[in-house]
Amino acid sequence: MAGLELLSDQGYRVDGRRAGELRKIQARMGVFAQADGSAYIEQGNTKALAVVYGPHEIRGSRARALPDRALVNCQYSSATFSTGERKRRPHGDRKSCEMGLQLRQTFEAAILTQLHPRSQIDIYVQVLQADGGTYAACVNAATLAVLDAGIPMRDFVCACSAGFVDGTALADLSHVEEAAGGPQLALALLPASGQIALLEMDARLHEDHLEQVLEAAARAARDVHTLLDRVVRQHVKEASILLGD
Amino acid sequence: MLQKREKVLLLRTFQGRTLRIVREHYLRPSVPCNSPLCPQPAACRNDGKLLSSDVTHYMIPDWKIVQDYLEILEFPELKGIIFMQTACQAVQHQRGRRQYNKLRNLLKDARHDCVLFANEFQQSCYLPRERGESMEKWQSRSIYSAAVWYYHHCQDRMPIVMVTEDEETIQQYGSDTEGVFVVSFKDYLDNFWPDLKAAHELCESILQSRRERENESQESHGKEYAEHLPLEVLEAGIKSGRYIQGILNVNKHRAQTEAFVRLQGASSKDSDLISDILIHGMKARNRSIHGDVVVVELLPKNEWKGRTTALGESDSDDKASGEAPSEPMPTGRVVGILQKNWRDYVVTFPSKEEVQSQGKNAQKILVTPWDYRIPKIRISTQQAEALQDFRVVVRIDSWESTSMYPNGHFVRVLGRIGDLEGEIATILVENSISVAPFSEAQMCEMPVNTPENPWKVSSEEERERKDLRRTHLVFSIDPRGCEDVDDALSVRALDNGSLELGVHIADVTHFVAPHSYIDIEARTRATTYYLADRRYDMLPSILSADVCSLLGGVDRYAVSVMWELDKTSYEIKKVWYGRTIIQSAYKLFYEAAQELLDGNVHVVDDIPEFRDLDEKSRQAKLDELVWAIGKLTDIARHVRAKRDRCGALELEGVEVRVQLDEKKNIHDLIPKQPLEVHETVAECMILANHWVARKIWESFPHQALLRRHPPPHQEFFSELRECAKAKGFFIDTRSNKTLADSLDNANDPNDPIVNKLLRSMATQAMSNALYFSTGSYAEEEFHHYGLALDKYTHFTSPIRRYSDIIVHRLLMAAISKDKKMESKENLFSNKDLEELCRHINNRNRAAQRSQKQSTELFQCMYFKDKDPETEERCISDGVIYSIRTNGVLVFIPRFGIKGAAYLKNKDGLVISCGPDSHCEWKPGSLQRFQDKITSTTTGGESVRFCLFDHVTVRVSVQASRCHSDTIRLEIIRNEPYVVPDAGLCQQGSLLLKSDLVKEVTRSVEEAQLAQEVTVDVIEEDRQKYCQTKGRSLYTLLEEIRDLALLDVSNSYRI
Repeated sequence: MAGLELLSDQGYRVDGRRAGELRKIQARMGVFAQADGSAYIEQGNTKALAVVYGPHEIRGSRARALPDRALVNCQYSSATFSTGERKRRPHGDRKSCEMGLQLRQTFEAAILTQLHPRSQIDIYVQVLQADGGTYAACVNAATLAVLDAGIPMRDFVCACSAGFVDGTALADLSHVEEAAGGPQLALALLPASGQIALLEMDARLHEDHLEQVLEAAARAARDVHTLLDRVVRQHVKEASILLGD
Repeated sequence: MLQKREKVLLLRTFQGRTLRIVREHYLRPSVPCNSPLCPQPAACRNDGKLLSSDVTHYMIPDWKIVQDYLEILEFPELKGIIFMQTACQAVQHQRGRRQYNKLRNLLKDARHDCVLFANEFQQSCYLPRERGESMEKWQSRSIYSAAVWYYHHCQDRMPIVMVTEDEETIQQYGSDTEGVFVVSFKDYLDNFWPDLKAAHELCESILQSRRERENESQESHGKEYAEHLPLEVLEAGIKSGRYIQGILNVNKHRAQTEAFVRLQGASSKDSDLISDILIHGMKARNRSIHGDVVVVELLPKNEWKGRTTALGESDSDDKASGEAPSEPMPTGRVVGILQKNWRDYVVTFPSKEEVQSQGKNAQKILVTPWDYRIPKIRISTQQAEALQDFRVVVRIDSWESTSMYPNGHFVRVLGRIGDLEGEIATILVENSISVAPFSEAQMCEMPVNTPENPWKVSSEEERERKDLRRTHLVFSIDPRGCEDVDDALSVRALDNGSLELGVHIADVTHFVAPHSYIDIEARTRATTYYLADRRYDMLPSILSADVCSLLGGVDRYAVSVMWELDKTSYEIKKVWYGRTIIQSAYKLFYEAAQELLDGNVHVVDDIPEFRDLDEKSRQAKLDELVWAIGKLTDIARHVRAKRDRCGALELEGVEVRVQLDEKKNIHDLIPKQPLEVHETVAECMILANHWVARKIWESFPHQALLRRHPPPHQEFFSELRECAKAKGFFIDTRSNKTLADSLDNANDPNDPIVNKLLRSMATQAMSNALYFSTGSYAEEEFHHYGLALDKYTHFTSPIRRYSDIIVHRLLMAAISKDKKMESKENLFSNKDLEELCRHINNRNRAAQRSQKQSTELFQCMYFKDKDPETEERCISDGVIYSIRTNGVLVFIPRFGIKGAAYLKNKDGLVISCGPDSHCEWKPGSLQRFQDKITSTTTGGESVRFCLFDHVTVRVSVQASRCHSDTIRLEIIRNEPYVVPDAGLCQQGSLLLKSDLVKEVTRSVEEAQLAQEVTVDVIEEDRQKYCQTKGRSLYTLLEEIRDLALLDVSNSYRI
């Protein structure tokens, strides 16, 4: 069989989107009562759950405590049923460690950690269904959860992936597009300032094209911001109604 | 704005499990409709190409129509076509990339009035596939609903015709919506385009081929090939005569379509088939590969096909196979393979561009074998890119009935494409020649002969053997500088007045014990291989060049045949065979011997043996030697004359030289006037071979190894007769005698090449001489046609032929049998010997083939760097020696090249000659007659090429990545080539092959040198001043010697 055509001559992608269009995003904050903050997000068929505890005292070894800022601890895991083939993923494998590290870097850049010295903030993310762009979904979910926990941040962190096919940059890759093996770039953006919290790409891409792909990812991240902002406002509105203000 | 839907797909993984995959599917309210009638062009964003507005209807082809009739839809006359996305995707999934790309290009092409409508992304057109609904049903439903939407979208202003092949769809939707018609493709063409004849014809032919394909797929249940029948069925079928067993031979020039099965064994006797069976097409060949033993079922007579006679793409072979007009011949199909004959194949990986076109799934790669006759092989490898520039050895693992091509795996790299060593290695592998150096275990069995520890005759052997050291004057005659002397001669007068003639052959079997390591190795090699620039010995050089070689002045073991002859009539009175010890007194070379024979004694200075002698003894010795050579020549003449009287033919002398010339393109090595001494030596060797053959056959009537040369089929001579007739000669081919006589008469005084060519044709028509075991054939079949001897074998070159070693052992066993002694050696049984003969014959053919291929390789490398347009050497005189339907075969005497020259090029233009007889290409036609071919241009000019016409040809090399390069000939003038510079003519009229080899080798070495120059200056000096690294003068001379002697021994075809 011929290889899948990722971008047709008419400009449609496999799932019917155009090059710059995002998948459908749905999100909800405050899904768990026990945690300090929690959120659930669906980006297309990628579904992620994030919970935040803290800031609280350092758990375990006190030596890890930082004198000037809070320790951000991120853990990533994915459900056995999250991919097409059922596969047990042991805790602490290479992929989840790496993802945890990336999340930590992202959020250390966004959270105002110096406000909580000698304390710890835990962010746990679990992917329930993986259909491409797991990092982006995790960051977006964690942002909402951190906001839900009321931890002060510089800005939203909005993440989105982008790829490059036949001279066109594609925003928000699905699993099919990722699996085709082209370059994939993950970007976490602080939309208000336009600062980049994390940029990651581990495939080869010509320098000339980087600008274009980066631009596509940034635009998509801003779109994500618009949506997340709407979700937060909606949530706050509902919460305030419940509180009876 | 977008609506999200989910599609659930069930995919099958490679392990065979089913996988449930959920994919998103986004729908949008508007997609471009690309119609000029669109009511809201802004919403539809119609920015691409639009359908034209002057059509009477829009046509929407069904998925099936797009798949099968795309060629018709490509007609520019058909307008207003809307391809639905559903249909396009069906094409992509089921017809593959190539067909889909055709469709894409059609859509991009602004001249074609067709557009794509992305119905699956349009929210009112998209229909989810229902549970249990078949794919085809859903596709038809989607396309119809999209058609209806489109009709309404254009506000019902344009009727829409949906074309489908499916009756059910027509019935179901035919009258569903007004304005949307559903018809079959044939009806559509009949009603809307009745005048478009070409489309109708194409439609018919597509229908036809599809019907055939369906029939086939019904038979084979969707497999590429039919299954092979089980072995019991095959064996029973062969016994009952229903199936026929034979060896598959693929036609090199039409490897895709034509293969022949040569009948084998018992099956040919029962059936009344004379000719081979044609296997037409890959399907009928059913996964068998060239050389396999296959079982064939004949097709009914009305399906028989003929073979093709035109010159193929690379037709340079001169086998007269194409002569039969294409009348139907027995045609069959392979039903089973009895024995697979897979070997290592040399292949080339596709270049980078080709890999990309083969698709993204790049782990499985189709590689092209060097041998045209082998199908492409699918290789699983990650290193395809790294191996691109190399010749690589692969092995075939399997060929499933579901697979188009066999699966194989990578074995090793031989060398770079175009590199001399790599190409030589390719030739060796392709001929299954293994030339690993001799192992230590093998060398341990060898005798020692060093200055400190010289080899000596043992006293034990001295007792056993007849000592000729003091009684006989033994001498050898060989080419200058030869080192491995395997034969020596002697002649003397006996006391009773008779003469005694002796032929002494190196006693190799004394050193090579049966079943020793070295014996096993020699048996595998079977012969010494001579390539254009090197050779691979059958025995280690310690034997071949030292202790076995009958060098002058040293004691050597020999096996001798000695005849007692009558003094005057030279009648043979007695013959003696046995082991001897000899000491060759003189190691002469041919030219010196000839001079002595002619009475020119001044050559004495050239003979080292005479140098240290004083005048008197020198004269005496010289007289003795001259007498011996003279006597020998006398005897040889006599023996020869006697053979002639007995009805033998005089083919050998000249004929063999020509045959060598044609086979190996080395005519220029052989002196124009063969010396009589050559014939003297040859005659003695033939005599010895003949008598040994008689001896071993008498002693072992059922297990002697002899050599036979079957008489040729008369029908093969027809071409020769026709050609000779064109020149006005008559060739009588009824017997070998008449053939030889008429060939002698067929001599054109103005053109000596005519005779050469006629002789080569005669040789081509004959079959090869073969070794055989006497138990397997009837006695009258032992006959040697070329030599006109009733029994013949090979006895005289045990150093370079394994058959001779066997014959030596047989002879020794025969002698001990005579002496009533218990034979020490256990001889081969008839069956084993026959098997061995088959092996030796095979290896001999491989040796000939590899020699031919390496010569061609050198020719190609010689011409490769020369620009054919400018280089004077690339233009040469050629002689037409065969006529084909679209060209002629040309022989170039200067280089000894044979090749095809086309009279019609690929664009269909034919050759024509202007007033200055320069040739150019013009449109026209060719007409072929028996002995000439006429090319007529549309302008009425015509040019005629007759057999044996001299033309001027330009030689160029057609480079080929995957195969060996080939020489291409192009006729540039239809008259003999005139050398512009007279001086050049004299010195350069003949290009010796050895020169050619030298030049190529030198240029290769220079290239190497250029690479190494920076690395090591000393190394460079060494190469420059010694310059014999890799090849010595010895090898060159050795080669010459061998070729000169070949006429009596090695590849004796007659």
